[in-house]
Amino acid sequence: MSQDQKPTSILDSLGEEIIRIITPVSICMFIVVLLVTILNSSSSDSSSNLTSIATIAYNENTSDSFWDKFEGALLNSLVFVAVITVVTFILVFLFYIRCTKFLKYYMGLSSFIVLGFMGGELAVILIRDFSIPIDGISFLVILYNFTVVGVLAIFMSEMAILIKQGYLVIIGVLVAFWFTLLPEWTTWAVLVALALYDLAAVLLPGGPLRLLVELAMSRDEEIPALVYEARPVTYNDSGPVQRVVERRSWRGRHDVGSNTAESSNANTNSSLESEPSLDSTLGVLLSSESCQSVTRLVMAEEGRSSEGPSELLAPLVEHQLERSNVQSNGPEELVQSERWPIDGIGLGSSGAIKLGLGDFIFYSVLVGRAAMYDLMTVYACYLAIIAGLGITLMLLAIYQKALPALPVSILLGVLFYFMTRLSLEAFVVQCSVNLLMF
Amino acid sequence: MERAESEGGEGGERRRQRIYNNNSSTAGVILRNPNNPEPIWPTIDGSLGLSEDDSLSYARNFFKFGFLLLPWLWAVNCFFFWPVLRHYSSFPRIRKYVLGSAIGFVAFTVLLSSWALTFSIGGERLFGPIFDTLVMYNVADRFGLTGWS
Repeated sequence: MSQDQKPTSILDSLGEEIIRIITPVSICMFIVVLLVTILNSSSSDSSSNLTSIATIAYNENTSDSFWDKFEGALLNSLVFVAVITVVTFILVFLFYIRCTKFLKYYMGLSSFIVLGFMGGELAVILIRDFSIPIDGISFLVILYNFTVVGVLAIFMSEMAILIKQGYLVIIGVLVAFWFTLLPEWTTWAVLVALALYDLAAVLLPGGPLRLLVELAMSRDEEIPALVYEARPVTYNDSGPVQRVVERRSWRGRHDVGSNTAESSNANTNSSLESEPSLDSTLGVLLSSESCQSVTRLVMAEEGRSSEGPSELLAPLVEHQLERSNVQSNGPEELVQSERWPIDGIGLGSSGAIKLGLGDFIFYSVLVGRAAMYDLMTVYACYLAIIAGLGITLMLLAIYQKALPALPVSILLGVLFYFMTRLSLEAFVVQCSVNLLMF
Repeated sequence: MERAESEGGEGGERRRQRIYNNNSSTAGVILRNPNNPEPIWPTIDGSLGLSEDDSLSYARNFFKFGFLLLPWLWAVNCFFFWPVLRHYSSFPRIRKYVLGSAIGFVAFTVLLSSWALTFSIGGERLFGPIFDTLVMYNVADRFGLTGWS
């Protein structure tokens, strides 16, 4: 065996993988901040009449007192989380009775609605604000194209990776933008409530997401969900056979850690453990010698992997259920299982990092809402979220089981927002005004 | 067997080299003359994408669906099968669909952009009152499309 490449450092492997997941998250946040700053400055507060499940309990009015707003926001967030829980349990139930076709079509419909209607409305708002002289016919043709190709890209399991990733980010942007239209106190309350819900749903034994995860693992199926999968970083460029092999190996090793050990995996587990696997805990690295032992695993799983809805379907629903979807794909479970369609950070079938679309959405909502105050809070919240994401990845590497990814980032982000708004801003402004710094 | 560490990605050059060294082949891989650099994977994702047999049906379906007024699907088809266009002599079966998609996309874009540009540049002078009925912001106002339903 000869090595003819330069030795890879931890930056090449782990760093590259992390960059490949942080880039789309950053792009999504950037676009949402851009949209929020453009559309906020050109229109007055038109968000007060947005009714949805999140404002059903209390519709915020800027003239209400502090306690009224606080209570109203809490009530709204409780209702929201309750609806999400119910819908997630329904999803678990449907998955349990193997209604995956229905779920898949429902997700296709949701992506169609998000891309077509919400994308269309956003485009129309932009056209109106900038007075772009496009005519109705061309606009319709372009919107139709955009929507249909988006639904195809998400529905089909094989499509150009870049196109699929691009459309997922666009869906994230559209849903996040819509969420930023909620009233302010409600948004913050909902974010915190969801972070806590995520923690509970994934870690508690009765949590719906944990049930979903265990069901999928025990049945060896993929959960229909909208998940962003980063392009895998390959280390062993030894040909197509090895490539396929690498795809399956992670799962075998994974099942060692999980409590569902099926006999078919048991053999491969033992064979896998003896392999000299390379460093990165997040990547799938097997030396070429391992391919022979893993080929059995490949054959066994060939069939299973091709069937079933791809990871990309989650009940992306409209208004009411919006969150639920996001929930099911959101609650980032950092799982190192291969079939982790549902969330947050996990590993894809080819060993790439997968991040649920709900993560994208809620990170962007937080940053978008921060943008409505000032850009200083945007910078602070962005750094907090990226730090939270890094911490979550580290925890994933340490614990090697399903972990929620929303809580750390959201709680850090909320903390940073309030600290910046309440204390940092005063400091910075005074320094600038007195020409001391900045 | 040789082991190499490199970034995965599009383009099959290095991968091709490894294959020759490894004596391995799968059904979807066509081994080419080592002296003539040609891609093995017809899709832009390289080894992460489809094999040649699968991609034939994808290319054909994308081409046919594009006739439903979907030039963007044709463009995605060309993007997805970019190696087929670039290395013109390989993949003869897929080539005709991808080429058809490319031609269709260019033709449709020319038509659509000529109409859209005429409309936006000509504006009211050229079209008279029809401009106001057709322009998007008026259509939106007329149908109340920005109510954030």
